[in-house]
Amino acid sequence: MSTLEVSNLNDGTTTVATTFVTNGSAKMWVNFTGITTTATRDSFNVSSLTDGGTGNTTVTLTNNMNNANYSGYYFTNASVGTAAANFNNQHTGGFGSFTTSSCQAYAYTASAAVDAYQNLCGLFGDLA
Amino acid sequence: MTHGHLWDRLADAKARLDPVQSKYRVLFENPTEPEAPASVLVPDPNWMAAALAGDVLPPIDTYLRDQNVPDGQPKEHPYAEPVGAMTEEEAIEYLIKKDISPQVWRDYQGNRTIIKIVPVELIPSDRSFRNAWKISQAEQEIAA
Repeated sequence: MSTLEVSNLNDGTTTVATTFVTNGSAKMWVNFTGITTTATRDSFNVSSLTDGGTGNTTVTLTNNMNNANYSGYYFTNASVGTAAANFNNQHTGGFGSFTTSSCQAYAYTASAAVDAYQNLCGLFGDLA
Repeated sequence: MTHGHLWDRLADAKARLDPVQSKYRVLFENPTEPEAPASVLVPDPNWMAAALAGDVLPPIDTYLRDQNVPDGQPKEHPYAEPVGAMTEEEAIEYLIKKDISPQVWRDYQGNRTIIKIVPVELIPSDRSFRNAWKISQAEQEIAA
């Protein structure tokens, strides 16, 4: 593996620092299912998923974050349905605890926690 | 340093290694939350591929030392020299130490079995009573 050391990127008209790109990149992402058995479809910078109960999944990182003040997204269809348009419009899905090494994602319908088919999660911030 | 940053090695590993679905899962209970259901740790396929290939992941000791480093301070594990290839069983043991609280795998002194490595086939696919799952105390053999 070779290393290219570049401070700035230029597309012919605009110059930006390379940190502009690295700071804005997702530091972790994962696509997983929670129905039948929790399983990762694909991911980056994830070491494990921990199924902690119905709709409760902890995503643990391989390369930790520098601090717990990072940001991210979590989408869940909050439904066991597998069709592209199967989602519960009354769903809520969100993060629980944040630490430098993991984040907790909860899938919830209008009335109860649910093991959802579609779970998409990513984090942005500073790496350790 | 020739081994670079862990982040860069993960990116390189993802580009060249096929994901590996582990044949194991880790069941565990948190002794500080006796009413909580058992948890199931699922190894990430890309992480497992990196563990089996070697020269990607840092030594487990670096993660354990970093647990004592305050947030925002420099951590050791991203810059440590990577370890060599592991067997799948060694990788599971590494992952237990990394991703499960030491209260479960190191400090617990009670009589209950609170952690088990099991073949994936032993995890129920019917999740109707998921929040009532506990580790069976009748079977004391560990699968791995």
